[in-house]
Amino acid sequence: MTAILDIQDVRKSYGSYAALKGVSLSVNQGEFIALVGPSGCGKTTLLKQIAGFEEPDTGRIAIADADMAGVPAAKRPTSMVFQKLALFPHMTVAENIGFPLKLRRTDTAEIKKRVGQMIELMQLKGEYLTRYPRQLSGGEQQRVALARSMVSAPKLLLLDEPLSALDVKLKKVLQAELKRLHRSVGVTFVHVTHDLEEAMMLADRICVMRDGAILQLGTPADIYYRPAGSFVSGFIGETNLLPITVTERTSAGLFYRAADIVDADGRIAADLIAGNVAKGPALLMLRPELLRVLSPGDVADGEIAAEVTEMFGKGGTVQYRARTPGGQMLVVEIPGTSSLPMRIGDKVRLGFTKKDIYVFGAEA
Amino acid sequence: MIARLEGRLIDIVLWGSLAAILIFFYIPIFTLIAFSFQEGRFLTLPFEGISLRWYGELFRNANALNALWNSTLIAVITTVIATAIGTMAAIAAVRYRFRGSDAFRLLAGVPLAFPQLLLGIVLLLWFSVLGRMLDFSTGITTAIIGHIVYITPFAMVIVAVQVYNFDATVEDAARDCGASSFEVYRYVTIPLLWPGIFSAAIFAFLLSWGNFYLTYSLAGSTRTLPTFIFSGIAIGSSPLYPAIATVIFIPGILLVILANRLRRT
Amino acid sequence: MADEVPRSWRDPDLLIKALPTVLLQTTCFLAPLVMTFLLTFQRSRNFQLQWSWDLWTWTDVFSKPHYWTILGHTIFMAAACVAICLIIAFPIAYGLATRFKAWENEIKVLITFAFITDATLKIYGWALFLDKNGMANYTLSSIGLPPEMVAFLYTDWATLLGMVYSLSAFAIFTLYLSISNIDRSLILAAYDAGAGKFRAHWEVTLPLCKPGIWAGSVLIFLLSVGAFLEPKVLGGGKSPMSAELIRQTFETRVNWPLGAALTLVLMVVSVFIVLLFSRLIGLKRAGLAA
Repeated sequence: MTAILDIQDVRKSYGSYAALKGVSLSVNQGEFIALVGPSGCGKTTLLKQIAGFEEPDTGRIAIADADMAGVPAAKRPTSMVFQKLALFPHMTVAENIGFPLKLRRTDTAEIKKRVGQMIELMQLKGEYLTRYPRQLSGGEQQRVALARSMVSAPKLLLLDEPLSALDVKLKKVLQAELKRLHRSVGVTFVHVTHDLEEAMMLADRICVMRDGAILQLGTPADIYYRPAGSFVSGFIGETNLLPITVTERTSAGLFYRAADIVDADGRIAADLIAGNVAKGPALLMLRPELLRVLSPGDVADGEIAAEVTEMFGKGGTVQYRARTPGGQMLVVEIPGTSSLPMRIGDKVRLGFTKKDIYVFGAEA
Repeated sequence: MIARLEGRLIDIVLWGSLAAILIFFYIPIFTLIAFSFQEGRFLTLPFEGISLRWYGELFRNANALNALWNSTLIAVITTVIATAIGTMAAIAAVRYRFRGSDAFRLLAGVPLAFPQLLLGIVLLLWFSVLGRMLDFSTGITTAIIGHIVYITPFAMVIVAVQVYNFDATVEDAARDCGASSFEVYRYVTIPLLWPGIFSAAIFAFLLSWGNFYLTYSLAGSTRTLPTFIFSGIAIGSSPLYPAIATVIFIPGILLVILANRLRRT
Repeated sequence: MADEVPRSWRDPDLLIKALPTVLLQTTCFLAPLVMTFLLTFQRSRNFQLQWSWDLWTWTDVFSKPHYWTILGHTIFMAAACVAICLIIAFPIAYGLATRFKAWENEIKVLITFAFITDATLKIYGWALFLDKNGMANYTLSSIGLPPEMVAFLYTDWATLLGMVYSLSAFAIFTLYLSISNIDRSLILAAYDAGAGKFRAHWEVTLPLCKPGIWAGSVLIFLLSVGAFLEPKVLGGGKSPMSAELIRQTFETRVNWPLGAALTLVLMVVSVFIVLLFSRLIGLKRAGLAA
C-alpha cells in the first residue's frame, strides 16, 4: 500500500489562535478516512490545507509523492465537496458538473459524455441536467455536488461535512450512497464530520481530533472499543467510566482495586490497556451494551451491584440507569423484550466479561 | 371580535397612509407633467389648451439640447466609474478583514450623509484653489468628479447588500474546480453579483442624471438639464421647463422598473 | 464569509478593491474638508482671498448673532423634518414589511422613483402646485372655497413640506429594513401574552426597530441641515437657512473664508447634535440594563 496523502507535522495559526498544533497523518491509496472531532478541533482547517485554500505555517503536505507547498487549490489533484455544497446557483446542473472540465478546455462533446456518465453514476435523472440547483431537493443537490467533484477524476476527494444539514433519513440514504461510490470508483476519500457514528459507518480508519491535534487514529472498532482516553470514549454513544486504582503495572498487565467492582483476581491483561496507564488512578471503560443483568446463581468475570433508578425504552433496546452503592451512575443497554428484566427500584447485579473492558489513563 | 376590529382598523390605517404618501410623492411630478402640455405661454390655470407645443420648442432650443447632451455625458461617465469603484469597495468592505477596515467603511460611506450642497461648496473651494495653482477652471470634468465622490458610496451600499447575501464558498468551489483568480471572477463572482451591480449602475445613472446641487457648484458655465431648469425657475418661466422635467422623468421610470424586475429574478 | 485572518495592505486583491475608494475619498473628500478648515484662517478683502493665517474670520463668525439665529432656525427645521418623516414613514414601512406583500415590489418602485427623481424638479413641481395660480388654489376656488386658504407658498411650512418630501423616503427604507428583520414570532408572543395588536407593536415592534429609527433620523437630520432649494424656492428666501446663507457668502459676497467657516460651523454643530443624542439614547439603554 502506498500513501496517497502524506502530512508531516503541519501547523497553522490564525493570529494568536493555534488551529493546528503539529498534525501528521498518512492516508493510503483508496482508503476512506474520516476526520472527526467537535467544532473548533481543527478538522476543517486541516482539510483546507489539503485542498490548498490555505497554506500551513510549517510542515509538509504531499499528495501522490508531490510536495504541495505553493500549489494553489486550482492546481491540486484534490476535489472538495463543501458543507453548504456551493453549487453555482446561476448554472444548470449540467453546467455545474461540467464546470471543472470546461476550465480544463475539454471539448464540448467530451464534457457532455462525462457529465452523462456522472449523472448515471450518481443515479440522477437525465432530465435534471437543464434544471438549476434550487429546483432540486436537498439530496439531489448533494448528488450534483458529488458529481461535480468526481468529474475531474481527482486523486483525493475531500468531504467537508456535506451531510450535516440533512435530515436523519436522507442522511442514512446518502451515507450508503457515499460508501457505494467509494467502493465503485476507488478514489481516496477524506471525510470531515463531527458525527462519530457517521464516521464509524463509512470510514476504514478514523482520525479523532481535538484542539488542533490528533488524539487517536485507528479503525472504527479501535475507536469504539479501545479509545485512547475518556474524550474519545465519550464522543460516541454513552459509556461507563469507572474510576479504578492501579496497584501494580507490569508488561503482562495490571492489578487494580475499585470500590464498586467485585473481581476475583483483580487483574487485567496487557492488550486491554491503553499506553498511558501507570500505577495510580485510571479509568475502566464498559460500553452499556456489554453489561448484562445477572440472575441469581449467574457468575461473571466482574460484578457490580446497583439499584435501578431510571428506564428508557428505545424501541429495539432498553436503557437503564443504575446507581452503585458508591454513588457511581451506570448506563446499561440490553435488547428489548416484552417482559422487562428490571424495574425501577430493583437491586441488581450487573456482570461483565473481562475481554470487553478497556482501561486508560484518567487525564485525557 | 375586538382583535378582528383592530386588524381591520390597522389595515385601513396602513393602506390609507400608503395611498396618502403616494399621492403626496406624485403631486409635484404630475403637476409638472400636466403643465408641460399647457398650450399657453404661462404656468397658470386654467389651461388655455392642451398641446405638445413646448416639446417642439424644447427640441428647437439649442441651450436645452446642449444641457441634455451634458447631462447624458456626465451621467454615463459617472455611472461607469462610480459603479466600478463602488463594486470593488463593496467586496472589500463586506468580505475582507484588514487593518483599518472600520475606517475604510466609514471613509467609503460618509459622503452619503453629507449634504450635497455643502459637498459641492467644499469641492468648489478645493477645485478653485487647485485650479488657481494648476491653472484649470471648473467645468464638466470637475462636475463628473463631484458626482463620482457623491455617487460611489450609493453604488457601494447597493452592491454590498448583494455581496452580503453572497455565499463565498462558491468561489472556493470554483477554485477547487480548477479556476484561476480571473476565471473565478468571470464565471462566478461577477455573474452572481450582477443584479446588484446592475441596480447600482441604474441608481448611479439616475442620481447623476438628475443631480442639481453638485452640478450647480462644480460645472462652471456648463449647464445640465437640472441646472437649466433651475435657471428657468428664477426667471418667470414658461411650460418649456415642465416639458424638460417630463423628459428627465422618462429614463428614470424605465430604469427603476427594469432594475426592480431584474432584482426579482 | 469574511476573512479568518486579517489581510495585509500588500495583498493585491485588497489593493485593487480598496485603493480606488481610498484615493477618491481622501483626495476629493477629506483633503477638501481639511482645506476648507485651513481657509477659515484667511481673510477676504475686495472679493480676493488673502492668506493671512489669523482668527479674523472666526472672530467675525462669533461676533454676529445673525449667523447663529439662522443656524438655530436651520436646526429647528431639521429636527421638525426628522420628526414628521418618522411619523409618516412608520405606517408605510410597517405595511411594506408585513401587509403589502402582494404589491411590495410595485410600491417600492413607485417610492424609489419619486425619491430618486432630482430635487430641483420636484421642488419646482411643488412651487407650481402651490402657486397662487397653481393647482391647489385652483382646486380650492373651483369648489367654492376662498383661495387664500392656501397662502402657503413662501412660508416656513412650505419649506418644511419640501424637506419632508425630499427626505422621507430615507425613513421609509431604513424603517422597512429593520422592521422586516424583526422575528415575527416575537410579535405573536406578545399577542399570546395578551397584548392587543396596537399594544404589541408599541411594546415589541417599536423598540426593536430602534436602530432603523436611529439610522433614518441621523441621515435625514444631516441631510436636511443642508437644505437649500426648499427654503429658496418654496420658502421664497424669506427666512433663510444656513445653506442659503453659505451659498450667498460664496456667491454674492465672494467671501471664501467666511463661507468655509460657516460650512464648518454647520457641520460641526449638526454632528455634535447627532453625537449628543446618540449618547443620550446610549445612556438610557445602559440605564435599562442596570
